Amino acid sequence: MKKIIAVICASLMVLSLAACGGAAKSDTYTVGICQLVQHPALDAATQGFKDALTEKLGDKVKFDEQNAAGDSATCATIASTFVSSKVNLIMCNATPALQAATAATADIPILGTSVTDYATALGVDPAEWTGVTGTNVSGTSDLAPLDAQADIIKELFPDAKTVGILYCSAEPNSVYQADTITPFIEGNGYEVKVFTFADSNDVASVTKTAADECDVIYIPTDNTAASCTEAIANVLIPAKVPAVCGEEGLASGCGVATLSISYYDLGYATGEMAYEILANNKKAGEMEIEFAPNVTKEYNAANAEALGVTIPDDYVAIGE
Amino acid sequence: MGIGSYFASLNPFNLLTSLPAGIAQGLIWGIMAIGVYITFRILDIADLSVDGTFTTGAATTVMLIIAGCPAWLAVIVAFAAGMIAGTVTGLLHTMLGIPAILAGILTQFAMYSINLAIMGMKANQAISVDKYHLLISSRNIGMALLVVGILTIVIIFLLYRFFGTELGCAFRATGANNAMAKAQGINIKMMKIIGLALSNAIVAFSGGLMAQYQGYSDINMGRGAIVIGLAAVIIGEVLGEAIFKKHLSFWLKLAFVVIGGILYYIFIIIVLWLKLDSNFLKLLQAAVVAVFLAVPYIRSVQKSSFKKAGKNAMKGGGR
Repeated sequence: MKKIIAVICASLMVLSLAACGGAAKSDTYTVGICQLVQHPALDAATQGFKDALTEKLGDKVKFDEQNAAGDSATCATIASTFVSSKVNLIMCNATPALQAATAATADIPILGTSVTDYATALGVDPAEWTGVTGTNVSGTSDLAPLDAQADIIKELFPDAKTVGILYCSAEPNSVYQADTITPFIEGNGYEVKVFTFADSNDVASVTKTAADECDVIYIPTDNTAASCTEAIANVLIPAKVPAVCGEEGLASGCGVATLSISYYDLGYATGEMAYEILANNKKAGEMEIEFAPNVTKEYNAANAEALGVTIPDDYVAIGE
Repeated sequence: MGIGSYFASLNPFNLLTSLPAGIAQGLIWGIMAIGVYITFRILDIADLSVDGTFTTGAATTVMLIIAGCPAWLAVIVAFAAGMIAGTVTGLLHTMLGIPAILAGILTQFAMYSINLAIMGMKANQAISVDKYHLLISSRNIGMALLVVGILTIVIIFLLYRFFGTELGCAFRATGANNAMAKAQGINIKMMKIIGLALSNAIVAFSGGLMAQYQGYSDINMGRGAIVIGLAAVIIGEVLGEAIFKKHLSFWLKLAFVVIGGILYYIFIIIVLWLKLDSNFLKLLQAAVVAVFLAVPYIRSVQKSSFKKAGKNAMKGGGR
């Protein structure tokens, strides 16, 4: 036992000597990336972020990329490893990652992405929200304009009466979007009903109820829904109920149309913000939360045909 | 990237500096694991309601602190909330005859809706250390270590005293031998309810600490809590028995459960530090728990081999 401890101690000492030799130079930057879970949209945002920074800084930037595999407690662990290894900037992909990082440091600049509503995520009273945090936090929001999404429903389904909003009750961003879009949809003359499921197990049955009671379904950018689009499509398509979705991944799986943002572009925009902070010494707290640079109206050709929905000319087919 | 440059990219200094944060998180999970220990080891029930009650503790604490309640009072209320949830599991099990494991799962399911309701029908509530006075925060690791360390010692001390009382002894007897305890006139149903309530209370208490440490409560934060709890219990047990053999006293057992939690988190820190593909994080976690679970069995198999049995017989014969 003692021998083993001695060997471990000795090797640690040797390693730490080696580490001193290779200490980081001051003109290089280390960026910690904490992503909540493996997910196509989040992966694209991380990729865009890395591409933007690599393009601007080349070899001068190093990434420490970590994924919490869906565990919010692991986000906290990752955030504190970043803080103790003194990275130059932390990029947080999704809400719990952002919250864990803000709990861990008030000094290291933090940029979020794929976070829908920063006021809710940071516990700021929406009435006092100004678009900047004033702390060490900024980032990009993945919110596609909700009023425009409500208008898509009006444009495509003028004869419908009831719109069902379908999302996972465990996702803060979805609750926020559902609450925000409801007045817009109601303003367009529809009745709104809300249907929530707790996890992927009850998606099918909740969707069935929603399809029975509504003419059109709206699904916000909901990660749980995004991971079971097949289950939703299997209920909606036979029931002949079309869905308008908050993002492209959902629409390509189970929807008819969407107002889409590109998570890659969103990550790229976050990368550009990171460059301003690292190279030009901008303060994160003074930078406005940015939104997706481009929004496009898109439609799912196969589902539109199956449900007999006529799509106007200014919509782009997904995948083209 | 070659092997050489991979090892060059690892900085042992970074590992050392991240250890305190890992230990702090491990301590909080260690308290949670003490709760699991009470049901899993003392009472011999695998209680799955902890996945729900961990979040209940977090939700209660966060909502109370936002409402202006002092943090220390909030975690005490969280303790009480966990106690109520545990009692529900206990009643489902003893009064309605639902098998313990199912009763736990039912409570865990029900707690999802209740936790959402506690958090004002929101899945996630932020609580910033800048705005509220919190007991602990990952902003200040040293303070967190101190506070959670003291709380752990207090909890172990109180439990040690409790299990020394007449009620505590009756409680341990129930876990050790159900039928015998009943024959001695112990109300074993009552003992089971008390055990589940106490266990879930401690779990909720640790959930309340965790929410303050990480700065938010999330509806999914308890998912897999039972796995971490069991891992801590088993790692602690294996280690404790390896060091102290059979002389492991009750308070040492509890202490080793907490040490198990700390080791589990140190392991996660090392995995993160090694920059292994984090997509395999869960696999590695499961592998570690499996190894520790297997150790006691493999040992007992070795001990009960024919060769050993022969030797033991020889020894016994010489007496």
